Amino acid sequence: MSDKKQSNRSFKNSRVYVVFFALAVALVFSVLITSAATMLKPLHQQNRILDKKTNLLEAANLLPENERLTPEKIQTIYDTHIREVHADPRGQILRQATGDSLQLYLIHTDQQVQGYIVPISTRGLWGKIHGYLAFEADGETVAGFSVYSHSETPGLGGEIESQWFQDNFKGKKILNAHNQLVSVSIAKGKSENLPENLQDHYVDGISGATLTGRYLSEGLEETLTQYEPVSIIFRQKKGSQTHLDTLLDE
Amino acid sequence: MQNDLSHYKEILVKGIWRENPVAYQVLGICSALAVTVKMSTALVMSIALTLVAAFSGLIISSLRHLIPSNIRIIVELTVIASLVIVTDQILQAYLYDISKQLSIFVGLIITNCIILGRAEAFALANNPADSFVDGIANGLGYSMILMAVAFFRELLGSGQFFGISVIPQFVYDMGFQDMGIMVLAPGAFFIIGLLVWLKNSLPGGISHEKK
Repeated sequence: MSDKKQSNRSFKNSRVYVVFFALAVALVFSVLITSAATMLKPLHQQNRILDKKTNLLEAANLLPENERLTPEKIQTIYDTHIREVHADPRGQILRQATGDSLQLYLIHTDQQVQGYIVPISTRGLWGKIHGYLAFEADGETVAGFSVYSHSETPGLGGEIESQWFQDNFKGKKILNAHNQLVSVSIAKGKSENLPENLQDHYVDGISGATLTGRYLSEGLEETLTQYEPVSIIFRQKKGSQTHLDTLLDE
Repeated sequence: MQNDLSHYKEILVKGIWRENPVAYQVLGICSALAVTVKMSTALVMSIALTLVAAFSGLIISSLRHLIPSNIRIIVELTVIASLVIVTDQILQAYLYDISKQLSIFVGLIITNCIILGRAEAFALANNPADSFVDGIANGLGYSMILMAVAFFRELLGSGQFFGISVIPQFVYDMGFQDMGIMVLAPGAFFIIGLLVWLKNSLPGGISHEKK
């Protein structure tokens, strides 16, 4: 009996058995994971698209507050208020993407353009930060900001997805008194401690997340420089209401 | 049969109360600090951990006569990691918002000492049914502490219970303020500390086993 046990143990630790066992375990569990991932993939994609749309609407302040939103409701609001368009390097708004066009979204109510949303994609401290920055139709006032994916430290840099930080952007200007692009940046500490002429261009920073703030500021400036031709088109209209189709057909 | 039942009860009581993984063994503290700001995230995390603990116990215990002892930790981790990844995939598919809030912490169940601890200390030496019950027991013990911490943190930190405001407006009007520290990690430290102290000072709250 004890002999049998002994031989069983040594067989269990023999090289052939260990390799065979390890391969079998790896095979079984990789099949398990792969099938779970493959079967759930359509749902994941649906969720991701819905999450993007929710964030676009959040940046555009189109989501009713304190209300449980069903996916259908979000889809309806999205369809009635947001139009995905493209802009060529001269700022011309196009229906279709061309080789070097930039993606953006128009916010409209009853076909009247209310503003536009620029996708933000910048590096953060640990990974990419993706979000949206919405502007009013005047081409210089920030209407809202939202983040839908990031890998910043929860509680520190991760605060960029919190409501207070995102609300912070509303009403900030990207142009200075001389109509030059200054972008909007994240301050170190409170923006109210800055000189008066800078307060319109800075939002309150997150304590403990200086680097996240710096990278996000850099990313915003870079993106806004890229989209400046589009903003100029909007500024030229100076508040006059534009029909969606007129803007697209010009 | 009677004997069986009292045997399972014994395992349950041990995992949930006498040798509670958080309050007695002080395991799994990292996630207990991280996901207890809101009760909804704590609940999902608790369910995920309990399921992973139960099924990893079941699988590892079923394989216990086949696992070569010199690669046993790797095999245990393969089982646990696979279950965690599947759980994470399911959460992303059906509870996307909550899975976003839990972010990396579901993935970190893999490194939660409770699971590997139970696999090593219990599943390798006991039969599958016992190991399954033991996993449930330890998962529930962990959940109990997590929910208690989340209850106090959410109530004191944001005046809510499962996301519903429960502190009436007139209390705020009289000058009551949410305790900001409860939303931050130090708040969890205080609460867990107090709970451990409370649990261990109750009669029968601590095992006085001779070493």
